Amino acid sequence: MSSLLDKARLMMNIHCLGRNLVTVSSSLHHVQLPAQKEAHFWYVLPDEIKDTNLLNQYFEILSPSEKESVFRMSGERLKKRAILARALVRTTLARYQINCQIDPKALKFKKNSYGKPEVDLQYTEDWNLPQLHFNISHTSSLIACGVTVGSPIGIDVEEKQRRLKNDVLAFARRYFSPDEIEMLTQIADPELRRLELIKLWTMKEAYVKAVGKGFSNSPFNTFTVRLGDHLKTSVDLRPRVMSKAHEITVEPPDDSKNISGNWQFVLLELYGSHYAAICIEQESTNRGKRSIPVNLMLRKTIPFVEDECIFGTDKAVVIGGLTTLLEC
Amino acid sequence: MASFTATSMSMISLAKPSLVPSARISSPNSVSLSIKGRNFPSITLQPTGRRFQVTCAAKQETVQKVCDIVKKQLALPEGSSVTGESKFAALGADSLDTVEIVMGLEEEFGISVEEESAQSITTVQEAADMIDKLLESKC
Repeated sequence: MSSLLDKARLMMNIHCLGRNLVTVSSSLHHVQLPAQKEAHFWYVLPDEIKDTNLLNQYFEILSPSEKESVFRMSGERLKKRAILARALVRTTLARYQINCQIDPKALKFKKNSYGKPEVDLQYTEDWNLPQLHFNISHTSSLIACGVTVGSPIGIDVEEKQRRLKNDVLAFARRYFSPDEIEMLTQIADPELRRLELIKLWTMKEAYVKAVGKGFSNSPFNTFTVRLGDHLKTSVDLRPRVMSKAHEITVEPPDDSKNISGNWQFVLLELYGSHYAAICIEQESTNRGKRSIPVNLMLRKTIPFVEDECIFGTDKAVVIGGLTTLLEC
Repeated sequence: MASFTATSMSMISLAKPSLVPSARISSPNSVSLSIKGRNFPSITLQPTGRRFQVTCAAKQETVQKVCDIVKKQLALPEGSSVTGESKFAALGADSLDTVEIVMGLEEEFGISVEEESAQSITTVQEAADMIDKLLESKC
């Protein structure tokens, strides 16, 4: 249904008018905005993108300062990663304009007072741009962008096989909360312990990024994230629509003047090789009541080339948090 | 721009690589050096140049140690260029790498880094400066 509408729009070639906007008929597939309590998770796999023409196309939509940042990266691999990350953000956000087309290059960004990147809406009064929130995370093998409407979002992705240079428990003792250290200490198998640490890290990082006030305002050892039933020794790889009640909770510090609100988590395992954590704020009307699931739409993308809806497949498995995966 | 006085030139040339890691540095007064626009904490200008040469050598050696720890953490190939100006992010460090680097620095130098400071370190030089400041205050 929505694709018919999209085709119609493309044919009518409705362009957004506004200053600084060069209208471009983009080959980005448009999507509906996320609803409340809905998060969209877009990702690219850098290894799939080798075409230098395509990479140049991505590079061209970056702002001058983003291009400079790319040049400052050390080595081709890191440059490519930086290009893909910024291109993913711009092309993803550009898809959400309903009434007209946005040139991804025309989007402007700013940082909040703590340094968290945000869409700068000041330049888009002509566009009817919705209040989109986004957050990105990258590893060498997967770059992701999470999007919501009306709720802050934080995401973090890590490779499961990532080895710490430090001992797992020493690391936990240095950075995590007492309860988390206790939980990790009770895991006898070192490999399982390491995996659990990585999961915890992604969830804590997603939380801090969602709160958006920086690492130093939400030190990791001042809050505890719990993944229910963490002692389960095997991951169920059957595709799931709704996860079981592996609810994830966060206990904020007593002094909650910095952190308010009710936060919800999703923890995913992607391709059996990555953990991805998503954290969004639960709407205030729902606080204190039984949690309703987060609706999550997953899409793998090669911007300007193709998108793939990830649903009903074991490429992505929910391993924590009350979540409903959506068909696209 | 570098601005050297005659005195400061001779002090720097006295700097020797041999250094006792736990050497103490007295609290500052008088001259503050400005090199490349960066202000170093003011350093006692005493005829006993030894204390002073310890300070200068400490900075260079600190930077070198930080470079080594960063290279190790990020598993950079041999011959990778890491200098004081190197930004962690530009070398490919993510937040997990950065906190591991901080842990490594704490162990290496016997210091304890506050969360606020940990976040403000983005380059090798900033890490080295912070370490030297922490070492100074341990006297």
